[in-house]
Amino acid sequence: MTLTPMEQFEVKPLVAEPLFHIGGHPIYFTNQSLLMVIVVIAASLFLTLTVKPGRLVPTRGQSMAEASYEFVANMIHSATGEDGLKYFPFIFSLFIFVLFCNFFGMVPGSFTVTSQIAVTFALAALVILLVIVVGFMKHGLHFLTLFVPKAPWYLLILLVPIEVISFLTRPISLSVRLFANMLAGHTMLAVFAGFVVALGSAGGVFTGLAIAPMFLIVAIMLLELLVAFLQAYVFAILTCIYLNEALHLHDHH
Amino acid sequence: MTSHDPDRLKDLGARLDEAQRRNAARAKGPPPTQLGIAGRFATELVAALVVGGGLGWGLDWLLGRFGFHTRPVFLIVFFILGAAAGIRNVMRAATEINARMASKDLER
Repeated sequence: MTLTPMEQFEVKPLVAEPLFHIGGHPIYFTNQSLLMVIVVIAASLFLTLTVKPGRLVPTRGQSMAEASYEFVANMIHSATGEDGLKYFPFIFSLFIFVLFCNFFGMVPGSFTVTSQIAVTFALAALVILLVIVVGFMKHGLHFLTLFVPKAPWYLLILLVPIEVISFLTRPISLSVRLFANMLAGHTMLAVFAGFVVALGSAGGVFTGLAIAPMFLIVAIMLLELLVAFLQAYVFAILTCIYLNEALHLHDHH
Repeated sequence: MTSHDPDRLKDLGARLDEAQRRNAARAKGPPPTQLGIAGRFATELVAALVVGGGLGWGLDWLLGRFGFHTRPVFLIVFFILGAAAGIRNVMRAATEINARMASKDLER
């Protein structure tokens, strides 16, 4: 019995034939695509079916949907102020997508979409593109003063490149944080699960000892549920913070 | 004047409720964990180094194609700038987390 804790992150095509080609590259329908489709359908159904207008006492599902709506709305309001609420649909979709991806990844045997750097980086690049577009649309070329801190001119030669690099870091740190957290958590789970199998099949006293990593798995599972929510929250709040800078430039410092 | 008073009171009550609800929800945001803070600082620092080094390497490569053999000058310069940007990022993250923790303490 060999331990393969990284096997769960393998992207495999589910249909042997590629769907179509982009620039000569075959595009397959993979297990990752399937999970993303499931996540989008589940999230849409959850948010539309549970909510019915005019109900005096909300059902459990409706309170959950409304709570998530208010949670994100308040988060945007406290981080960016009134004019950030225009971008509520984008941030809410982002938050719900990441949250559902993380939670669906917790189902044993499924696939964690957010453990793929390609997915998280695409999301982070989308966020930064939005920030840049919003910044230029709202302030025009004045947006570039974001990279000019208050300092004497001879220091600016050094400081402006530093600020530019610091800005370019954001998509990377944003995507790596989500990807690394999910990857590390799920690898840890698989490693401890491997311990259970190895000890259980060892025979003698060791078989009884297999119960110890078993309890650890339960504990880590709970921790991972917290991480799944926390990382979706962090992703959304950082999006708000970056958006706030693009909207208000330096006046909130 | 007196006929309007119940309406105005009701309106004030609704606005008060709304404000209270908003404050309660704001405090609900999860506090940053120790591990979260450590991970945040590490990624900020490393990402800035990677971006800085990558930019320098790219500049060297680009200039090399035009016949200027600058390698490894820009790689070194931008790597150092990247390190500075990383420290700047960590400082910014620290002030951000401090502010969040301070507001949590006040609400408690």
